[in-house]
Amino acid sequence: MIFSKSKNSKQKFISCTGNNKKYEFINPKKLYIKQGKENIPIEIITDKQGFVYIIWKKKKYLVNIIEKNQNKYEVLVNGVSYPISVETPFSYKRRKYLANNKEESKIERIQAPMPGKIVEFFVEEDQIIKEGEAVLILEAMKMQNEIISNVSGKINKINFKPDDIVMKDDILIEVEK
Amino acid sequence: MKKIKSILIANRGEIAIRISETAKKMGIRTYGLKTSKEPSAYYLQFMDEIIDLTENTTDIPEFLDIDRIINSIKKYNIDAVHPGYGYLAENPYFAQKCIDEKIIFIGPSPDSIYKLGNKTIAKQLASNHNVPLLEGSNGNIRDIKHAKQLAQKIGLPVIIKAASGGGGRGMRIVENIEDIEKMLRLAQNESEKAFADSSVFMEKYVRSPRHIEFQILADHYGNIIHLGERECSIQRKHQKLIEESPSIALNEELRTKMGESAINIAKASNYRNAGTVEFLLDESGNYYFMEMNTRIQVEHPVTEMVTGFDLVEWQIKIAQEEKLTVKQKDVKLNGWAIECRINAEDVQSDFTPYLGTIEKINISKGKNCRFDTGVTEGSNINANFDSMLAKLICYGETREKAINNSLSVLNKLQIQGIKTTIPFCKAVLNHPKFKKGDISTSFIQKEMKQLYYQETDEEMIAAFWAALNHSVQLDIEDKTFIDYEKGKNITPWLMNKRLKSL
Repeated sequence: MIFSKSKNSKQKFISCTGNNKKYEFINPKKLYIKQGKENIPIEIITDKQGFVYIIWKKKKYLVNIIEKNQNKYEVLVNGVSYPISVETPFSYKRRKYLANNKEESKIERIQAPMPGKIVEFFVEEDQIIKEGEAVLILEAMKMQNEIISNVSGKINKINFKPDDIVMKDDILIEVEK
Repeated sequence: MKKIKSILIANRGEIAIRISETAKKMGIRTYGLKTSKEPSAYYLQFMDEIIDLTENTTDIPEFLDIDRIINSIKKYNIDAVHPGYGYLAENPYFAQKCIDEKIIFIGPSPDSIYKLGNKTIAKQLASNHNVPLLEGSNGNIRDIKHAKQLAQKIGLPVIIKAASGGGGRGMRIVENIEDIEKMLRLAQNESEKAFADSSVFMEKYVRSPRHIEFQILADHYGNIIHLGERECSIQRKHQKLIEESPSIALNEELRTKMGESAINIAKASNYRNAGTVEFLLDESGNYYFMEMNTRIQVEHPVTEMVTGFDLVEWQIKIAQEEKLTVKQKDVKLNGWAIECRINAEDVQSDFTPYLGTIEKINISKGKNCRFDTGVTEGSNINANFDSMLAKLICYGETREKAINNSLSVLNKLQIQGIKTTIPFCKAVLNHPKFKKGDISTSFIQKEMKQLYYQETDEEMIAAFWAALNHSVQLDIEDKTFIDYEKGKNITPWLMNKRLKSL
């Protein structure tokens, strides 16, 4: 791989993982990862079929970006998925600031974990539900899946009706905590 | 006796390819069905002839449309039909229709399919022939009051199951009596949806049992043999994920006893062709008859690997009324075979189906390995079909060698474009308790803290790869960005105005 010379050879990137762990890389194009005080080089290879591997410390990792949206990446390493958001020092500060000042939302949205068809709702609007209670059945790939509420509260809104087809992440039910 | 010269394979995916390969080896012409949901599917490349059903689509899925399939067979003058698994494989009406139309149905008689497919009848057959059974409702559940009485009589936990079920659908475990109404309704709904029959029954639920099943072959002349067992204890929500043959839990004595029970069930139902008798085995070596599957099963290759039998070949031979030439004493289980199912599922978010396109696929398998796949590069995974893409079956002289062989092939098996169960399979095969053979159907739930295998530095590699790609991306954006306001001083006033207009 050949990279253009960056204007700023000390440009720092902060990769934040799904569980808020952070990794810092100074100019990643230099192809090393710092561990302790040592810079350990990285090698990138592409095989005949176009699979891309990173070799680091004599270990080979298959890497692939499966989804990307602005600075948010979903990276598969050996088939395991890691959600990573890449921040600059400035955007990282803003992110932290926003996180600290975020008001906790009173509405919990129950989303479709997969595309499928709604079979039945167990609840009605205004009904009080408990955490862990099944709220509806979603049928996908011939399986009927119970969708469980993660919170206790009052059903604020039901956005679909039985037999509706829903996409992944569609908001099915809104619960007021 | 009529020799089969042509077969319609009324199925798709890896099993259609699997059947076609054996048929061709036997000099039989194969016909496949092309459907509008998957017009460029991989399996079609393996057929001698393709019957195009893409026009005039109806609401009935093509592989379930009995009339259309029968008409196609007659139109092309095909001798026989192989249903594979799922779809019409265990539909007695279809099997009967084939007989009526003088088409050879590669499978058992409609009567056997019906009797064994109805779990209530199947259990009666078993109990009449001294095959051990779990205590249960002895018939279908009438209503919620009946369900409550039964649960109290049998003792909790109990399991509610679809009378015409299979594949884990229409099953619910009841741990607390308060849940029984909800669970009954769920089981009934699901079985109504899946099998157009809402009748369910109840039985005692055995915690942490092993799932042991016996492969049967039976001909038209009363010869029945079993080809040993398969252990399919690694299951999630009653869906098998990893299977092996033989089972570490059986010694020769128990194998003989269970094998005889399996043969008794086949005898009692006048069975012919290939079939599978499923048992639960508890920790003290007691076993209970669950059901008999009257079809070729997904996990049949592990039996083929340790016995050397080609089960599809025997299915075809039996269907053309050939005699079983092998005696029970000639059946030997050599070595060990393990099958890993590669499904398009996101293991990290509760095994939800993952849809998309397979961009690349790479497998380097050695000689002791078989990869039965229904997909290739460019295959589209959509919600119309089952999420199983392929099966990796690896052999070893011992269980340990089979595990190591599986792991080394899994480590080199790459699929790009979608998420798969490969990291899950690696996690199971690396688990110390799995390695010891200490497994049960609740293994995943009880023993696995993490459902996917992960190397220590993977997260950091991911973080690096994202950062590198992002930095390259920013450079590209930098180059293409034309700065119209270059040299202009942006005053705080101008800045504020801009921000407002954003």
